[in-house]
Amino acid sequence: MEIYADSDRCILCHACVVACERVHGEARISVEAVRDRACVPVACHQCDAAPCAIVCPSGALAQEASTVAFDAEKCTRCGLCIIACPLGAVDLDTVSMIQRCDLCPDREVPVCVLTCPTEALILGDRFEETKEMRRRAALRIAQSHAVGRERA
Amino acid sequence: MADEKLVPTVCPYCALGCGFYIKLEEGGTGIEYMLDHPTNEGALCPKGNAALEILSHPDRLRFPLLRTEGGWKRISWDEALERLAEEIKKTIKVHGPGALGFLGSAKCTNEENYLFQKMARLLGSKNVDCCARRCHSPTIPALNRAFGAACMTNPISDLENSGCIFVIGSNFAENHPLVARWALRAKDRGAKIVVADPRLTPTTWLADLHLQINLGTDVALLNGMMNVIIEEGLYDRKFVGERTVGFEELEEKVRGFTPKRAADITGVSTGAIVRAARIYARSPASAIIYSMGITQHSHGTNNVSACADLALICGHLGRSGAGLYPLRGQNNVQGACDMGVLADFYPGSVSVNDAEGIRRIEEAWGATSLPIGMGMTAETMPVAAGDGNLRFLYVVGEDIVNSDSASSRGRKELANLDFMAVQEIFMTETAEMADLVLPAAAWAEKEGSYTSSERRVQWSPKAIEPPGEARSDLSTIVRLANLLGLPFDYAGPEEVLAEIGKMVKSYAGITRERAEGRGGVIWPCPFLDHPGTPILHRDEFCAPQGRARIVPVDYLPPDEERSLDYPLLLTTGRIGLHYNAGSMTRRSISLMKRAPELFVEVNPQDADRWGIVDGDLVEVKTRRGEVWARGRVTTRQEAGVIFMPFHFPQTNTITSDVIDPEARIPEFKVAACRIGKMKGV
Repeated sequence: MEIYADSDRCILCHACVVACERVHGEARISVEAVRDRACVPVACHQCDAAPCAIVCPSGALAQEASTVAFDAEKCTRCGLCIIACPLGAVDLDTVSMIQRCDLCPDREVPVCVLTCPTEALILGDRFEETKEMRRRAALRIAQSHAVGRERA
Repeated sequence: MADEKLVPTVCPYCALGCGFYIKLEEGGTGIEYMLDHPTNEGALCPKGNAALEILSHPDRLRFPLLRTEGGWKRISWDEALERLAEEIKKTIKVHGPGALGFLGSAKCTNEENYLFQKMARLLGSKNVDCCARRCHSPTIPALNRAFGAACMTNPISDLENSGCIFVIGSNFAENHPLVARWALRAKDRGAKIVVADPRLTPTTWLADLHLQINLGTDVALLNGMMNVIIEEGLYDRKFVGERTVGFEELEEKVRGFTPKRAADITGVSTGAIVRAARIYARSPASAIIYSMGITQHSHGTNNVSACADLALICGHLGRSGAGLYPLRGQNNVQGACDMGVLADFYPGSVSVNDAEGIRRIEEAWGATSLPIGMGMTAETMPVAAGDGNLRFLYVVGEDIVNSDSASSRGRKELANLDFMAVQEIFMTETAEMADLVLPAAAWAEKEGSYTSSERRVQWSPKAIEPPGEARSDLSTIVRLANLLGLPFDYAGPEEVLAEIGKMVKSYAGITRERAEGRGGVIWPCPFLDHPGTPILHRDEFCAPQGRARIVPVDYLPPDEERSLDYPLLLTTGRIGLHYNAGSMTRRSISLMKRAPELFVEVNPQDADRWGIVDGDLVEVKTRRGEVWARGRVTTRQEAGVIFMPFHFPQTNTITSDVIDPEARIPEFKVAACRIGKMKGV
């Protein structure tokens, strides 16, 4: 399971960021705007062969079935995981902990997904979710062809 | 988890009435999402997520404070209320009740607002108003004239069923983010979203068609669209014939508004105007969403009338997916208006000129001579204070100094009052000017009902204790009224709500128990077993013969235009991370760190011309004065227009104070200005 972001629905409201920060102390999701034209939320992808776990020399980050587990006691704060993550989704906070999305283990659905006003964030299995995203994309493209995606 | 308790609550920020739970646990409070709420389905915007931060804020007012020569002095509640009562009596004796002003709060409960205006009017003062004057006051006369009811016609979630959502003068993606949820659901089902906005905003990102119109040219666009719709025969003949009056006058009026003429005025292409008109008219059910971009103009009432006309000629009213959506601002602005905290209406929309209606209210209240006629509005009270006609002002939960237009003038005028009392949760800029400051409980620290933009009346229970000696506004008003000899005898807000039900027909069937149910009740709810009325005007309008009135209007340009001295136009608005005058969000750490300071958005062409680089401090000057803000160079506006949010005190010191002649709302949205790089920084 992982968090998917549909950039066509994101409205740059920052609800996910504020909610994540409220629950975790620091926000582990961020939302970036590009040229005032579009934006996309960025969070850990829970990679299958996670670069952060692969490079971790102390075994603090370790690949498990569908996620990466973190053991704070083993962490040496070396920061290799930060360099390795292609999304910049791993960070070190000022105290000692690695900050990385843990999908809110106490909850069925992470707070960022619950709070998202536009359902731009989706928790799901990647095959199911990509199918849904393809369906939406196809619908949009079909509509655009029908009416013309024109702007004044 | 056994020591955890969840108390349902209604979000204190905008008027969507989103629900969430306040989680009470050892060591503090938290938020839990309310997945079964009909409006927000658990989701919350950033402000909702940050709402609890203000409750425990160290700046909260804890004790009554009296201004003395040596600064603020803490006094007891008894002293404070006796002093307040004495000042009111003294003002009545010397200057008469007409010198008393009462500003209620669209953030307070229905019960508090009802008692506040009742107290003011029983004391003989007509001068009762609230901040609705600065947001949707044009909606009230315009929609009353058109439909006989000045409110949103359909629930937010019904947008899902629209085939076209036409947005004009609303940036809901930032200001009412949960509206975007339902608009996107409609889009998933094939709906088209058309947005008319001078700015490129996150709302326009969702649009299939964005009409980037010139500031204040809404009527030209709407008349141009209606011209196309009538010329091409796309209007709903049956609806127009059976349910409206005034079509012929409109036809005559818009005949001259050819797409060419509309395009010349609005600055968008004729093709785009024709396309927008066809999309809106042809869809099986189209909704119109509007907000401050329509109302905050010197011709705001005309703008609203034109929106209503468009909906009426296409018959997009009275059914699911259609409707007119004036998105309200404050959590209880609809309720405050329903309760008669308006200079032109008693509770239940009884006009202040309706002698017979007022006689019935007199009977119900056991009063003999309630004031008749228009009172001073939120805008005229400071002016009257400056002239010496208003001597005493009692402000509950409003930061008028920051939210009024051309506010540095208002500040001087308010200083001329004999006495000003402010009831607040924080020491706002308005409270700083008061003689007496009374500490109030915030929304989660008291109980009562709130009416959201979609007319949804919801009960919000008390979750935690207020700080220090802060009290609910209800108990303060009741105690003060008693000291003034008024027989206010209410055991609690539910008794007040019962009285409201007798005075306001649409609330007759709403009790505490019903409002406590998930999602409350949507008024009109005329009797106890009535299910509420999510969609208005299904069979007839609340107007003579049940027919709506089409009111043709002319295009009028904004009051201020570009000139040699002031070559740019300043427009103002909100951003997603802040709220109104900012007294709450500027005290919220998680919001402030993401939006810490006032900024001004400048188009790159204008930035080049005036030598401004992104991040510079920029001086913005209008005829009212000058302020500085952090420059942001962006193409969100076209060249010639700059934008500033009004959440920081500086902005409204320079906005225009020209008002709409009927609704008396200032033209916040257009002011001629010039800019320059700040010297010496």
